[in-house]
Amino acid sequence: MLAPRLIPLILKQLTRHRVRTALTVAGVGVAMFLFVTVQALQEGVTRATEAAAGDTTLVVYRENRFCPATSRLPQYYVERIENIPGVASAVPVKIVVNNCRASLDVITYRGVRGDDIAGTGGWSSKWTLVAGSVAEWQKRSDSALVGETLAARRGFKVGQSFDSSGVTVVVAGIIRSDQPQDQNVAYVHLDFLQQSAGKGGGLGTVTQFTVRVNDPAKMEAVAAAIDEQFRAEADPTTTRPEKAFVAQAGADIVEIVRFTRWLGWGCLGAVLALVANAIVLSVQDRIKEHAVLQTLGFRSGLIARMIVSEGMIIGLMGGALGTGAALGIVHFGHFSLSQEGLSVTVAASWGVLALGLAISASVGVVAGLVPAIRAGRREIAACLRAV
Amino acid sequence: MLSNSLETTMSSRNGSTRAPLIECRRLTKSYKKGDNTITPLQELDLDVARGDFLALMGPSGSGKTTLLNLIAGIDRPTGGQLVIGGVDIASLSRSKLADWRSRHVGYIFQLYNLVPVLTAYENVELPLLLRSYSGRERHEKVQTALRLVGIADRHDHYPRQLSGGQEQRVAIARAIVTDPTILVGDEPTGDLDEESARAIMELMTRLCDELGKTLLIVTHDAKSAGYARRTLYLEKGRLVEASEVGARRVAAAQG
Repeated sequence: MLAPRLIPLILKQLTRHRVRTALTVAGVGVAMFLFVTVQALQEGVTRATEAAAGDTTLVVYRENRFCPATSRLPQYYVERIENIPGVASAVPVKIVVNNCRASLDVITYRGVRGDDIAGTGGWSSKWTLVAGSVAEWQKRSDSALVGETLAARRGFKVGQSFDSSGVTVVVAGIIRSDQPQDQNVAYVHLDFLQQSAGKGGGLGTVTQFTVRVNDPAKMEAVAAAIDEQFRAEADPTTTRPEKAFVAQAGADIVEIVRFTRWLGWGCLGAVLALVANAIVLSVQDRIKEHAVLQTLGFRSGLIARMIVSEGMIIGLMGGALGTGAALGIVHFGHFSLSQEGLSVTVAASWGVLALGLAISASVGVVAGLVPAIRAGRREIAACLRAV
Repeated sequence: MLSNSLETTMSSRNGSTRAPLIECRRLTKSYKKGDNTITPLQELDLDVARGDFLALMGPSGSGKTTLLNLIAGIDRPTGGQLVIGGVDIASLSRSKLADWRSRHVGYIFQLYNLVPVLTAYENVELPLLLRSYSGRERHEKVQTALRLVGIADRHDHYPRQLSGGQEQRVAIARAIVTDPTILVGDEPTGDLDEESARAIMELMTRLCDELGKTLLIVTHDAKSAGYARRTLYLEKGRLVEASEVGARRVAAAQG
């Protein structure tokens, strides 16, 4: 630790070569921006795909299909699913997307029966209505409840109509949900979507069933029972926990995002090299000055700690710059990666901010260690003679 | 008029007892350079009394700066004994030696060696940052030291805004601000014009006389050496001659 009275001295040293310090801080900022953005992506994938102990949601899809355009199941399956022991509820869902490929801006319609949304214990009971009303949604067959992320990204307002995939709807409400998938879709009436969407079958055909089970421990048993129920049908099913389904259907996104962790580590390497370079140059410039400080009575360990502190401060400044910029862009950009109608929301928590700052400070410390130790070991008289 | 605490403390030491403050016995310094062993200082015996003002002269490579650095505790002897104020400083660890320097030594360099990003005030304050003084105590000591060297009006100037003579005054203030036992100067007037050099030497003489500092300087300049009480001549690491009272002192005594 350093005495607080020495901190102004360290800060003054950082102003010695302002352009160099500013460039180093900017470089650290850019690298930390990339690192934090990658972390936000990772966090989104984790939230969307990592199973939690209390998960109770299963997704029933057409066997060997992963695209909403090709998964077609008879809507009447819903009654048979509801009769399977352990099933609490089953909701037929029709999904229409304007783009099946991986993209940053996909509009996904989810057609759901009115009662499944607005009825007692319906899905809307777990949402927060940011604007508009569910009652208004029920009144109009072409109305939509739009997830907050999608609404923010596209600038949708209540009462506004928009068109996607040839389906025109009016925004009746904007919803907020702790489920990443709800945040990036537009919920519409099932029969309206079945009639409006040209492809993927008409009335009586749905894309999937969203099933809630009574007991989280029996997810696998219920999934197996559902698939067994339809094994001999013309349209057999594959049933998986929702998050496993997202991980599998959005495998391309998940794989790409997981690969980006290497980019994150690369960014940290860049930070380390940048700060180390700045500190080495700075220490080389000050060999004689450090000898003078030692002559005045500064211990070599104190000088080493001061040099390490310079590295830490540069790291922290760059880290704050880059992390702040990344969080701002992620927060206000409302990005989400979508594939096959499934979304991975890019959202950074305060934990990512703390992680970014802690890592940048730590990397700054590590970068300053070697030059600091070397500076502390130099012989005073030799340094005074040499320069 | 010396009226403040630092000045009072400094003055109270002006007892000038003649017991040796610095005792060098067979003091030797040698180091390897390639296959050769260089010995800039060979078995030197020297006593320096408290309050003495000593000038070290000699040709380049004669060992005078080496002797000064050994006494200042920024270099270590390879042989013999060096006792200062009863402490065998060669036996101190690196960090203990640093602490000893901060309490007992004020070093004045030929090229001032002020920290360029700090103002005159901040440069003088530097050695005080190692002590647990309050901000107010530090302020008082710095102001006193700046006043003593006649540079208080330039306290907020950076080194680049000062002349060589002014920079050296700041460096002297930095050297005396901790009220050290010994002041050492390695050619303190070597980079100054004649007028500035004279002013600096008069200032150092006054510090030595009025504040009771023990002062050792290395110089090539006979005029500067003339301010000292004793001048030692070194050659090839050995003491070859000593003269007792500098010409300037004689002249000053004769009025």
